Amino acid sequence: MASDNVRTDREFEERTKLLFDESVGALDGETRSKLTQARYRALEELAPRRQAAWARALVPVGAAAVVATLTVMLWQGQSSPVDEAGFDVAAVSDLEILLSEEELDMIEELEFYAWLEEQVELTEGQIVEDGIG
Amino acid sequence: MALAAALRAPFGSRTEDGMLEASTKMEAFLREVETRAFRIAVVSTRDADEALDIVQDAMISLTRRYAHKSADEWRPLFYRILKNRIRDWQRRSIVRTRVMSFFGGQESDEYDPVAQAPGPRSDDPTDALERSDAMQALEQALGELPARQREAFMLRNFEGLDVAETAVAMGCSDGSVKTHYSRAVHRLRDMLGEHY
Repeated sequence: MASDNVRTDREFEERTKLLFDESVGALDGETRSKLTQARYRALEELAPRRQAAWARALVPVGAAAVVATLTVMLWQGQSSPVDEAGFDVAAVSDLEILLSEEELDMIEELEFYAWLEEQVELTEGQIVEDGIG
Repeated sequence: MALAAALRAPFGSRTEDGMLEASTKMEAFLREVETRAFRIAVVSTRDADEALDIVQDAMISLTRRYAHKSADEWRPLFYRILKNRIRDWQRRSIVRTRVMSFFGGQESDEYDPVAQAPGPRSDDPTDALERSDAMQALEQALGELPARQREAFMLRNFEGLDVAETAVAMGCSDGSVKTHYSRAVHRLRDMLGEHY
């Protein structure tokens, strides 16, 4: 009786296995196509590793190019330096000069400077008339 | 062994031949298991679209995380990932169903697993119908088993994994696999007696 039961269980297992295999074999083309696409998508996980190797080989070249570019920029930037915040250093210096107290003093004593300039011109005219130079 | 060595090697030292061999072997493996994995996922989820997503996730995960392993280890690892993905889906499904039920939804009533499951085909309509009915009955019966028994049955019977491979896939001992499988067979036979 026990052996009959084992045999029957085995038959049951063979039948379920056969039914499953048939259902797998009967999958339609659309489903198989989708599974193929899914497989290729999974295999793409291996592809980027090869690209990473390419990228690695290019790292020294890229680093050298960056260093060269920075060197050129710094060298050329000496005539018109730009600070960390991106401001033109020369323009900022001009602004500082314009807003300095000394300049404000000059504005306040504008009449004095006008008189001083007039005196210089008169002096130069006197020298020319005297035949010097 | 050469395949595993090629995949374990640092990227810079990998040869094109080694990578090509690895890719070819992985493709052959995935091609071999994809349709069976899909059917197992369909039986578990009773939803072809969800099953397709689950199988794709499992294939990607295997390729991304375990391609460097020996090809002999891929099968149990793949089915372990597949089992985990199915479990995750089932958990989400349970939560979704409960939430819908709480808000008075009818999602579970509208769901027809038999209609959504792809059925077998045959040149002989009578045989096809008989086998289709038998497979659908089996799928429904499997759906009523506890998850561990269902997993053990599908991995051992459908996929043909041995006890040790099934234990790896299920994350349990060999003894547990035998127990779950034996109980699954007997419960299925109780449920399917008249069909089988």
